[in-house]
Amino acid sequence: MSEKAATKGHPSRGISLYSYQSLLGKTMTLDDAFEEMYDTGATCFEFLTSYIEGYPNPSPKWVDHYWMLCEKYHLQPAELGHWCESHLHRGPKMSDEEIVEELKQDFRVANLLGFKTLRTKITCTNEICDPEPGWQSYIEKALPYAEKYDVRMQNEVHLPTTLHTPHIREEYLDFIRRTGTDRFGFNIDFGTFQTRAAKGMEDMPMFHFDDVSKPEEIVEFLPYCWTCHTKFTNMDENFEETTIPYREVIKLMIDHGWSGYLLSEYEGALRFKAENSVEDFANAMEGIPDQVRRHQIMMKNILGY
Amino acid sequence: MVEFQAVQQRGFHNYYDENGNIAGFEFKFVPRYYKGLWFTQCRFGNVEVDGEVYDRDCISIIYDGIAYSREELFDLKRYWQFRTPIVVRVPKKGGLSVGYHDVVMNFGWVLNYNGALEKEKDGSGLGNMAHMFGTKNERRMLLCR
Repeated sequence: MSEKAATKGHPSRGISLYSYQSLLGKTMTLDDAFEEMYDTGATCFEFLTSYIEGYPNPSPKWVDHYWMLCEKYHLQPAELGHWCESHLHRGPKMSDEEIVEELKQDFRVANLLGFKTLRTKITCTNEICDPEPGWQSYIEKALPYAEKYDVRMQNEVHLPTTLHTPHIREEYLDFIRRTGTDRFGFNIDFGTFQTRAAKGMEDMPMFHFDDVSKPEEIVEFLPYCWTCHTKFTNMDENFEETTIPYREVIKLMIDHGWSGYLLSEYEGALRFKAENSVEDFANAMEGIPDQVRRHQIMMKNILGY
Repeated sequence: MVEFQAVQQRGFHNYYDENGNIAGFEFKFVPRYYKGLWFTQCRFGNVEVDGEVYDRDCISIIYDGIAYSREELFDLKRYWQFRTPIVVRVPKKGGLSVGYHDVVMNFGWVLNYNGALEKEKDGSGLGNMAHMFGTKNERRMLLCR
């Protein structure tokens, strides 16, 4: 969005079903998840391909049921999380043509289910998610199909990757500018702005917080971003997330006219510990929906709707 | 719906051959991971019960009613649906005794996630996700028959 765009943005408030993944298929059905999301006032959602029964070929009966749920609970499809598979088989990497066929399959599914944006996980080679060399070739070949099926691929910027990790600019942004495409961009996960470990995760040194994205860095990427994971790891009883500068980041987005999807994505201790013991699972059963509800209240307080 | 653990107690029992003799035991397994997997990317390891090791090439994996060997699954371009258990069938003459058993299912997979690419491209290892999720799934379970 240019500096000229003075019109304020109006992001949509939604939920990623990933938040409930510890419970899905165990104590929570898909119908339950939709009802749960409806209770929060969310208006849109993210699915993962795995949550599509029969993926990659869902039955007409399932698709009908899915649309019934969307209608019943007034929820709009926002993003489909999928994987750009390049190592499906033993041996060397797949050819560009094979990879594009897999992508087309997911584009078709996304189109069938009403998703306009995708979180496209490109094969990476290390913890900071440097992409496997050669990705530009098959993604460029997939662009016409993304256009055909009206979807936009988004690489996720996820802690410990930051907006200033070299590959973000030198590879992904360079690709977008070289091709001029509006079918590839970024899902900026708010965890990239997290400044310290959240309560309950101090003893889980998965990430370091000494080099994280600064809120103002997001502005340059907004023209190439249609969906963000509003990541959170702990919501307190006052409906606040205290480790991520939410208000500052969202104000920048709105002030720059951004009107995409903000999807609550819970990835806290309850989720990581859920399978450790009966007690931990019971805590997850009660705590995870509660955490998502708290987060939605915070998002409503920030957005005003 | 499945139990919250990866190794499922529901479905844990001895099985019989066509002559009515106990031919081994079986249990259900569902990965802890948050998504489904292509079988071609799965890396099945050994089963262990009370410390005894059952080689991965001797077990059968039953999905949707069809039994596969570990080797066959490398070529099965089929999606392992999320939260859908497989049956792990382990031949053992006479089966397991009635009572509690410590069951371990070793399992890994290949995925393009936050780590080095898989080194064992021949499928001899347990994939490239162990650094995040481990490969050992264990549970103490009660066998009744």
